[in-house]
Amino acid sequence: MLKIENHVSLKNVIAVRGMAQVLTVSFGLVALCIIFGVLNPNFFSGENTINLLRQIAPILLIGISQAYVLITGNIDLSIGSVVGMSTMIASTLMSKGGVNPWLSVLITMVACLAVGVANGLLVAKCKLPPFIATLGTMTIARGIAQLANNNYNTDSIGKILGNDAVQGFRDFFYYGSFLNVYNTIWIALVLWFVFNFFISSTRSGRHIYAIGSNVEAARLSGVNVVATTITAYVVSAFCAGVVGFILCAQAGMGAMDAGNTYELYAVAAAVIGGVSTLGGQGLMIGTVIGASIWGVLQNGLQFANVAVAWRNIIIGAIVIVSVLLDVIVRTGAKSKKVIK
Amino acid sequence: MSECIVKMEHISKAFPGVKALEDVSFYLNSGEVMALLGENGAGKSTLMKILSGVYTRDEGTIEVFGQGIHEQLTPKKAQEMGIAIIHQELNMCGHLTVAENIFLGRESTRFGVLSQDDMNKEAKRILDDLKIDIKPSTMISDLPVSKQQMVEIAKALSTNAKILVMDEPTSALTSKEIDELFRIIRQLKAQGKGIAYISHRLEELTHIVDSVTIMRDGKFILTTRFQDITMQEIISNMVGREIKEKFPRVECPRGGKLLEVKNLNAGRAVRDVSFEVYAGEIVGIAGLMGAGRTETTRAIFGADPKQTGEIILTGKPLKISRPIDAIKHGLVLAPEDRKKDGLCVRLSIRENITLPNLDLICGRLGIINKKTEHRIVSDAVRNFSIKMANAEADASSLSGGNQQKVVVSKWLARDSKVVIFDEPTRGIDVAAKVEIYNLMNQLKLQGIGVVFVSSEMPEILGISDRILVMCDGRITGEVDAKTATQSEILELATRFENKVGLQ
Repeated sequence: MLKIENHVSLKNVIAVRGMAQVLTVSFGLVALCIIFGVLNPNFFSGENTINLLRQIAPILLIGISQAYVLITGNIDLSIGSVVGMSTMIASTLMSKGGVNPWLSVLITMVACLAVGVANGLLVAKCKLPPFIATLGTMTIARGIAQLANNNYNTDSIGKILGNDAVQGFRDFFYYGSFLNVYNTIWIALVLWFVFNFFISSTRSGRHIYAIGSNVEAARLSGVNVVATTITAYVVSAFCAGVVGFILCAQAGMGAMDAGNTYELYAVAAAVIGGVSTLGGQGLMIGTVIGASIWGVLQNGLQFANVAVAWRNIIIGAIVIVSVLLDVIVRTGAKSKKVIK
Repeated sequence: MSECIVKMEHISKAFPGVKALEDVSFYLNSGEVMALLGENGAGKSTLMKILSGVYTRDEGTIEVFGQGIHEQLTPKKAQEMGIAIIHQELNMCGHLTVAENIFLGRESTRFGVLSQDDMNKEAKRILDDLKIDIKPSTMISDLPVSKQQMVEIAKALSTNAKILVMDEPTSALTSKEIDELFRIIRQLKAQGKGIAYISHRLEELTHIVDSVTIMRDGKFILTTRFQDITMQEIISNMVGREIKEKFPRVECPRGGKLLEVKNLNAGRAVRDVSFEVYAGEIVGIAGLMGAGRTETTRAIFGADPKQTGEIILTGKPLKISRPIDAIKHGLVLAPEDRKKDGLCVRLSIRENITLPNLDLICGRLGIINKKTEHRIVSDAVRNFSIKMANAEADASSLSGGNQQKVVVSKWLARDSKVVIFDEPTRGIDVAAKVEIYNLMNQLKLQGIGVVFVSSEMPEILGISDRILVMCDGRITGEVDAKTATQSEILELATRFENKVGLQ
């Protein structure tokens, strides 16, 4: 009896912490890498690897965004639009206003965080369904992105300031490297460590899990549900804002449709990595794996000359299969418990 | 001549940790209203759920219309046999019309297309038969509860139900509505239908009931014609239970006044409630289901809004609008419904225990001190002997008793002044109950005020110092636990404002 109980509980630990899913998809990631490596030996070339990592970095950041919000039991559809808004506001400030790049970053970030606060207030305070609330802010933020430069993509961000003046900005977010690793990758890593620590080791982080698991029990335990929800949405908007800067630095200009549908990539990265859309569970390490699978698929399929249409179909199927696996594992664990 | 249409014999049913029914028998004749009486947890609802196929029986035989049922009943099969249950909480789709609700799941169609007219016509026929004045095309949500209930009855009749189970049908009705309901019940009776009637409002019985069956603690006590038994006998048979469990009451001198609740009003369920709690005492709150006890505790704790009322803790009036306000001042609540309000079932045991105590274990930057967290958790696990594989297992993996211990233990790492326990022993085994009692005693000895809401008379009499009795949202009396009897409490707990008009 005791033995059975131990066995079940151990399984529960793995399932609940989302570790099972992380492990499963990690194997999937390794398998994908091997397949692509066999199909095309260049896949593992130093150049491709480092490019691949740089492609994964923004996906990881928006994955963190969505994971935070999903763990609270909500969803953030405004991520992609905040990316676009961030790119457009920053590049317009620089290209049209001649504002110092770092001051532009600061101003833009304030705007992005405001969207996060608005999302949190609408969902937790006004009690709008998160899908609807963030659908609204998604549309509004995209509108602001378009409005920023009067419905045009911006000119080069160095137009007024001079290319030299914006080079520091572009290097910091995209082109520069440190210890032979691109800065973009460093940024994603550092932010991942910060937000992993925040959600796993701080009071606010614990509250995020608690309201996602049982909002009423959390409230009766003294958790401030409104503040916690806002925190999650603000983290989400922050990461999305940073991705906007990365895209702006990469292109050297602002594109109005930057970040389009990123919110859905973000859902995919988080969910493949074991974050539950029902809230209350998910690990930041899972989001790394989820984002990596997404990036490897995009990169590998492109490398293998698979047509875009097929790429979409394959990626979509993988999202479904990876979550289906998790559901099967978890219902399996549950039926065992009932037998006990 | 009436015939026996339901014969349930030797029915037993166990849930994990509790024996809900033990060798219970129940008989119902056609054209008869049978009252099924008993305290909370006596097993009335469980028995009726077995009859309607919601639960399966472990042992026993069921005969319906003389036909033995050997396999397990399912809700669908019970419906086919003519059994219908009118639940206490109405199960209707508010956005659909009366007719749509009546025919939900059995919609009549023509060539696969819904035939609204047929359903409306048929619904009207049934409603007219019952002399109920409701238009079939009315939206359910536009009807008052009483009319919704009548639609439920019409729905049951539309499935050709001949056996109706009514679970507390009058609890939400006004006196005029009750008269109307009784008229319908009498009409059904005249048509030869059998009605099992569950109610706590004993004064209603005289108006409609033919026979009574009394249950207690999952056991069958007696069944008799209503005219052959007095109200006093009914009450004493409902409670007539000797206190066999040992209740480890401890004595200690009563200290100063800790908590004072003045004229608390919160919705319909809490009306003008005032009481006091002193240091070193356990104040029990007794009452029947729906008496407003849980609502009172939730309003005090700030979980639900209150209209008026003062909460005074150690002489200081508190402004409590959210639970965090109460927690900060040392007034805490271990809520009734573990799964719904008490636990984050998908979080670990550790995370559940420390959830309200993160302020104690976090540094200034809000970073969790894992060492302190570990200490609090292992203290709680040891003090409460929580049985678990390890503290990282999710809370849902625990048994009911151990889940309850987690819910209670999370509050005791804090220096609380008043702890409110709402039904802390519901659904847990005897050993775990005793541990909870000991814990309350320990708090009492530490000079903490304990409020103890319970539906089980023996334990509330055995553990509390004073008992407040509630009925219909009001406190109807206070008794000294050492001298009070169960009948005394039940009498106070059924002191409803008289809603049944004299006829």
